[in-house]
Amino acid sequence: MTDDSTLSVPDSVVPTWVVRTLGLARREVLRVTRRAKNTVLPPIVTNGLYITVFGVILGARIGETQGVPYLQFVLPGLIALGAISQSFQNAAFSLFHSRWEGYVEVMIAAPISSAEGIVSYLLGSAVRGLLVGGAVFALGYLFTGTPVRHPALLIAFVVVVVLLFGGLGLVGGMWADDFDQLTVFNQFLIRPLVFFGGVFYPLADLPGIARTVSYLNPIVYIVNGIRFSLTGISSVPPLTSLAVLVGATVLVVGLDVWLFERGFGLTE
Amino acid sequence: MTNTPAIEAEGLVKRYDGVRALDGLTLSVDRGEFFGLLGPNGAGKTTFIETLVGLVEPTAGQAAVFGNDVETEQQAVRNHVSVAPQEFNVDRFFPIQEVLEHAARIHGVRASDARERAAEALESVGLAAKGDRKFRALSGGMKRRFLLARALVSDPDLLILDEPTAGVDVEIRRDIWNVVQRLNDDGMTVLLTTHYIEEAERLCDRVCVVDGGQTVVVDTPGQLRRRGTDTIRAEIDGERVHANRLRAVDGVDDVAVTSDGVTVRAERAESVLAAVVTAVSRQGRTVETLEVDRASLEDAFVDLTGPGADGSGGPESDETTTSQPSERSRQSSTTEQ
Ligand SMILES: Nc1ncnc2c1ncn2[C@@H]1O[C@H](COP(=O)(O)OP(=O)(O)O)[C@@H](O)[C@H]1O
Ligand SMILES: [Mg+2]
Repeated sequence: MTDDSTLSVPDSVVPTWVVRTLGLARREVLRVTRRAKNTVLPPIVTNGLYITVFGVILGARIGETQGVPYLQFVLPGLIALGAISQSFQNAAFSLFHSRWEGYVEVMIAAPISSAEGIVSYLLGSAVRGLLVGGAVFALGYLFTGTPVRHPALLIAFVVVVVLLFGGLGLVGGMWADDFDQLTVFNQFLIRPLVFFGGVFYPLADLPGIARTVSYLNPIVYIVNGIRFSLTGISSVPPLTSLAVLVGATVLVVGLDVWLFERGFGLTE
Repeated sequence: MTNTPAIEAEGLVKRYDGVRALDGLTLSVDRGEFFGLLGPNGAGKTTFIETLVGLVEPTAGQAAVFGNDVETEQQAVRNHVSVAPQEFNVDRFFPIQEVLEHAARIHGVRASDARERAAEALESVGLAAKGDRKFRALSGGMKRRFLLARALVSDPDLLILDEPTAGVDVEIRRDIWNVVQRLNDDGMTVLLTTHYIEEAERLCDRVCVVDGGQTVVVDTPGQLRRRGTDTIRAEIDGERVHANRLRAVDGVDDVAVTSDGVTVRAERAESVLAAVVTAVSRQGRTVETLEVDRASLEDAFVDLTGPGADGSGGPESDETTTSQPSERSRQSSTTEQ
C-alpha cells in the first residue's frame, strides 16, 4: 500500500476535525495492512480449514439444513465469526498497545477529541474485520457457489457487526491491565457467544428455554441476518436483527466515547 | 488575549492516595518566556505538566494556558501546547518519520503539510538521515532528540520539556540546549523541568524552585544565586585568630578557624569582606591570600530544598545535586598584603 493515497482527500476544503480523524484512522489502517501476513492471513487460513472440515467433509454427511446445503448454512456464521473476532481483537489490541507503550498520551494530549479518536480506531478495526469477513465469503463462494440474495443487506450487516465488535474491543482495550486479560475477554465472552449463536445449528432445533435465552445473544442476530442476506432463510426477521444490532452499536460506541472522555484506563 | 500569561496556575493540588504530588502550586509564566521548573525527583514537576494537558485531573486549584482553563477548555489548550515527555512513549511500529506525521495529523496538520513538517522537525534535531528507522533502533541521545522533534512537529506556542536531557551525554545535551534556545529566541514560550541546576541556569529567564509540590521561590537564576551563601577563605600568617571577633562582624553567618587561616560564610561576600580583613588586622595578623567563593545556584537550590528547608523531605537521592557537572561559579580573587 502506498502511503498518501490511502485516506487523503483534497485538503483546504476539509475541516480540521476530519484532518485529525483521518490522520489517526490512516495510522490504524496501516497498522493492519502493513502486517497483513500477521493480521489478516492467519484468520483466513483458519477459516479455510473450518470450511473444509465443517462444510466439505462433515457437510456431506449432514446433508441439507433448512433447505440448503450445510456449508451454505454455516458459511454466514463463519463470515460473522471472522469479522467479529478480528475487529474485536484489532481494536482491543491496538488501544491496549498504545496504553502499554504509553503513546496513548500523545493522542490524549493532542486536540483530537474522544469521538474522533474512537472513530479512527473503529475504522482500523473495521478494515481488518471486513478484509477477513470478505475473504471468508470469497472462500465459501468458491466452495459452494452460495447465492447472495440481498447484497446491500449483507454489506449493512457486516459493517454494523465490525463496528459493534470494534466498539466492544475498545472497551476491552481500556479495561485490560495486561496482555492476558485481553485474551480472557475473547475466550470467555466472545467465543461462548459465538458457539451458542446459531452458527452451526438452526435455533429451531433448540429446546424452548435455550431458544428463548438465545435471543439475548447478539451473535444470533448477526448470524441470522447474514444468513438471510445470502440464502434467504433466517430464524429471526432480518430487519429486526439489523435494528437490534444498530441499537447495540450505538450504545457501545456511546459507551466508548463516555469512557474515553472520563479517561477510563487512559489517564493517571 | 495577548496579555494573558502563557501559563497561570493557582493553588494546584493533586492528591494520590497518601501522596500530595502537588500541594498548592502557584506560578505564572509569561508569553515568550523561557521558564524553568527546578526541583528534586518527586517534587511534582511531571504531575504539574500533566495537569496542563489534561493527563492528570487536579484535586483542587486552577490552571490556564493562554487563558484557556485546563479542565474545561482542553481542546483550546491542546491546540497550543506540545510536550516532550520524560518517559519514552513512542509508537514503535512505525518508522520515526511516520510517527511524526501521525503526531502532526492529530494536531490538525493537513496531510499535504504533515510530511514536510515531519522532515523539518527531524532536521531541526539532527535526525534527518534517520527518518526511516524505528524508535527502538535509535541511540539514547537520538531518542531524546526525537521526543523533542515530535513536540515540535505541531509548531506549538508553548513547548513543554520534561527533563529533556535526562541521561544524555554532554555533547547532545548542548545540542538540545541550542535547539530550544533558538526556538525561544524566535518567540516560542518554553517550560522546562529539570533537576539539573546548570540546565536551569543556562537556559531559563526565570526559575521556579519546587519541592513537595509547592512553589518554594520564583526568581531569575541570578537573583536565586544570591540566596545562597558565599564563602571567604583567608590564609593568615602567624598565630590563630579569634573567631569571636570575626563573628561579631555584621553580616557574617559562620566562622571556622583552620590551621592556616579562617573560613567565613556570609550571604554576600562583598558586604563583609573589608570588615573581615580589618578584624584580622586588628588582631595583629596579616591576611596573605583571600579567596571568595560565590554562592552558586546549586547552593541556593540545596538551601531551598534541602533537608532543613521548608517544603517536604527534600531530595530523594543525591543524584539531584551531585550527578551533574556543577559549574560552581568560582570567582576567586587573591590578594597579597
Ligand atoms: N500515578 C501516580 N500514583 C501515585 N503517586 C504518584 C503518581 N504520579 C506521581 N506520583 C507521586 O507524586 C510525586 C510527584 O511525582 P512527579 O510529578 O513525577 O515528580 P517529579 O516529576 O518532580 O520527579 C511523587 O512522590 C510520585 O511518587
Ligand atoms: Mg518528572
